[in-house]
Amino acid sequence: MPDMKLELQVNGRKVTRRADPGQRLLDFLRDELNLTGTKEGCGAGECGTCSVFVDGKLVKSCLMPAAKAQGADIQTVEGLARPGDLDVIQKAFHKTGASQCGYCIPGMVMAATSILREAPEASLDEIKERMGGNICRCTGYSKIIEAVALARDVVTGRASPAALDPETVGDSFIGHNVRRLDAPSKVTGRLKYAGDMVMPDMLHMAVLRSPHAHAEILSIDTSEAEAMDGVACVITADDVPGKDGFGVFVHDQPIMARGKVRHVGEAVAAVAAEDVATARRALKKIKVEYRELPGLYDPEDALQPGAPVIHDYAPDNVVKHIPIRKGDIEAGFAAADLILEDEFTTQQVEHAYLEPEAGLAYVDADDVVTVISPSQNITHHRHMLSEIIARPINKVRFIMSPVGGGFGGKEDMIYQGMLALAAMKTYRPVRLVFTREESIIASAKRHPSRVKYRMGLTKEGRITAIKFDMLSDGGAYGMSSEGVMRKAAILSCGPYEVENLQVDTTAVYTNNTPSGAFRTFGGMQAQFATESMIDIAAERLGLDPFEIRRRNMMRAGSLTHTQQKLDSASIGRVLAAAEAASRWEPGAPRMRGPERGDLGGPGTRAPCTLGARFEASKDGKERVA
Amino acid sequence: MQRKMRGRGVAASWYGIARTATVDRAGAWAELDDGGTAKVVTGVTEIGEGILTVLAQIAAEELGIRPEDVTIGDNDTARSPEAAHAGATRQTYMIGNSVALACREAKSRLFAEIAAHWEVDAGTLVAFDGALKAHGTNLAMTMAEAVDIAKKRGVVPVGAGHFTAHGTGLNPVDGSGAPWQAYVFGTQVAEVEVDTLTGEVQVLGLWAAHDVGRVINPRGVEGQIEGGVVQGLGQALMEDYRTEQGHTTTHGFAKYILPTALDVPEITSVLVEDPDPLSPLGAKGIGEPALVPTAPAIMNAIHDAIGVRIKSLPATPEKVLAAIAEKEARDAAREAAE
Ligand code: FES
Ligand code: FES
Repeated sequence: MPDMKLELQVNGRKVTRRADPGQRLLDFLRDELNLTGTKEGCGAGECGTCSVFVDGKLVKSCLMPAAKAQGADIQTVEGLARPGDLDVIQKAFHKTGASQCGYCIPGMVMAATSILREAPEASLDEIKERMGGNICRCTGYSKIIEAVALARDVVTGRASPAALDPETVGDSFIGHNVRRLDAPSKVTGRLKYAGDMVMPDMLHMAVLRSPHAHAEILSIDTSEAEAMDGVACVITADDVPGKDGFGVFVHDQPIMARGKVRHVGEAVAAVAAEDVATARRALKKIKVEYRELPGLYDPEDALQPGAPVIHDYAPDNVVKHIPIRKGDIEAGFAAADLILEDEFTTQQVEHAYLEPEAGLAYVDADDVVTVISPSQNITHHRHMLSEIIARPINKVRFIMSPVGGGFGGKEDMIYQGMLALAAMKTYRPVRLVFTREESIIASAKRHPSRVKYRMGLTKEGRITAIKFDMLSDGGAYGMSSEGVMRKAAILSCGPYEVENLQVDTTAVYTNNTPSGAFRTFGGMQAQFATESMIDIAAERLGLDPFEIRRRNMMRAGSLTHTQQKLDSASIGRVLAAAEAASRWEPGAPRMRGPERGDLGGPGTRAPCTLGARFEASKDGKERVA
Repeated sequence: MQRKMRGRGVAASWYGIARTATVDRAGAWAELDDGGTAKVVTGVTEIGEGILTVLAQIAAEELGIRPEDVTIGDNDTARSPEAAHAGATRQTYMIGNSVALACREAKSRLFAEIAAHWEVDAGTLVAFDGALKAHGTNLAMTMAEAVDIAKKRGVVPVGAGHFTAHGTGLNPVDGSGAPWQAYVFGTQVAEVEVDTLTGEVQVLGLWAAHDVGRVINPRGVEGQIEGGVVQGLGQALMEDYRTEQGHTTTHGFAKYILPTALDVPEITSVLVEDPDPLSPLGAKGIGEPALVPTAPAIMNAIHDAIGVRIKSLPATPEKVLAAIAEKEARDAAREAAE
């Protein structure tokens, strides 16, 4: 495509550039003008991190061709305040602690700016409605909304500008709302995440991923891709010089598929080229011959005799089984007045950190292979990579870049190895930035779970025995499955002293997207089941849900499920605190909603009718909105 | 049943702090630097929770300077002491305590010099917010002056610290063991409204009481609770990563539904402090525990509102409607039988 001459205003200055007419405005701003405060969270108009003003109107720059901006007046987050300064909205974000990882924040600041420009008196509901197109995965939105309301009040004169000042410190910095030190760089878009970093002579990487869930690789032919203009190297498993394999517990995952692929989206080969477009074109020239194998998609199937084997080292497909035993469950159930049995399931969950995986690697002057990435565990990555590339540990260096959200999903070394190999092969810096789709198919998810539960209780609500059996789909690789099963087992029966219990947690291999670390590491899956059971027990026994919990809770001196003696247990205090704060009206959980007197008071919001997820019911008669 | 039904539910939880069923460790270096500032170097990973600010507060408190005077070195395996990963709700506990210990050592070097300079006992020295005093005297100077004096006496006030958490492995047969040395507990109450026509559930209020040991930065803790609650709400009501024969059918945010500002309840955080006796700071953690009780509290609230139990997450409108229909059929059959 011939270049076109693009003339526009950006942050008050005239800009003239030759540009590819197919380029998105987002890329033009980031790649041509280095305005990297505008982020790419999804590339599909669904997250708002790329928001900019075009002729005063807030638009998602990932959806707008640069050519359409011909003659337009563009404002990005970098143009809101003078360099080094913060505007009112940015100061309000700083004050309330609205930025956490910061990746959504430039987009949030832009959306807030648009609100205060168009509707300076916006109500809280209107603020929420207008921010509805911007996703934040870290903050739960509360402090962002608080910041916008604070800025609104300062702008409209309802609050004094002093409301934006830091809180004065008393006699200690501990327990004090010190404002986040990294907030100014986040609210201005100044902070450079890995995908924003460039190095001289840098190559760009693209990754060929498996279209099959389970298949043998018969051959890979990279010759045509390698011969392409602008391609610096193509790497496959054959380029790994050392002992290939990584994982948080078992090292069962190769840097790139070795001999077979085990899930859709698994890396098979990677290209490093002068630009991303060339690298992506080169992927199409790599020829891979596959022979499809029968796959496993349900954890129950994985345990059947004769099931396909995903990893040779684990012929039973079990990643890890953790047993916990305490007391005598037969006796415990025999002593029960009430025995409840039930089953609970939880789904696979995507981390959805707003920053897709990204990284840079280079070999430095001392021959140290260096990787910069938003990894949650560079210590462990360094150990693993040193074995994989067969270099001494001090010749492998990991540098952490700002992490745009992790939640456990950036513990797995799923791309840093490829970057290192390409840098070693070319002796040039190499950068890789995942697309959102790539991030979703290649990264780990929260373990789905199926729990079979049996609980025995006395009439008074004391638990006499628990039998807890959890099966989890670990997906194609081990990643954190072992640890997740361990934590799920240890925490399984909740903050209660249970004398007789039998707990088993098992994760198995399948050909689904791998499951891995995700905030709570199995703890929420297990305790969802337990807390549901306790509520069912309270209903059956006619007990208040706080009361039944108090009757069973751990105390100082209690033995945990793993028979550890506790010196203290604050469960009684947090139960009392939640009960008091919520003004809880006691009673058994027997569909009391219609009669309760404690509903709709302080601490609740009005039901939302704006932009409700359901516009109309199926017959079209009733409208929620 | 009326169209809009409300209810409340509660769920409790517990959680262990730092790595599970193993020894955990972290190291840090500190230096009281010119101008009464400080350098702290440790392998910390800011993943958004605000750990850098927390460490700056801890260093400032320990050294007697201000948080903004603290520079925290970047995490780099070739330059910083090992402090391991950002996960397991371990950074405040593990790295916070190692930074405190490193700062104490640096400060004791400085105090030894100033005590000699003033000819007082080092135990009488107190520093806060950039000012240094000898208790029971009129002697005072700034921390900038103090560092200058120490250096003129030939001493660079540096310190190193490391912190250990003594978890033990689990017995392979009965699972017995002491996986953590510090535990936290939490309780959440959810108030919901269920639209029985559309099946949609809205969470209107959420009260979250969590023991965090000792609060370092209240807003930071609230931010963790709010973020955790909303992730828990997403998992409770809408998020669902799906595959068919291993191929995902939810490959973008149009298909994979996440909570937005419109889904968020009013969240009331109650911070409970049961200090950890085994560490210098007493702080424990909040990152992961914040979301453990959210989904069950919401499911229990749905039951309180409409009398159905959703045992399979997420409680999508379709599932809620199906459960209502099932309950109505059950109730009708019971009535017919009576
Ligand atoms: S909306 Fe443009 S990157 Fe997500
Ligand atoms: S702060 Fe919003 S995505 Fe991290």
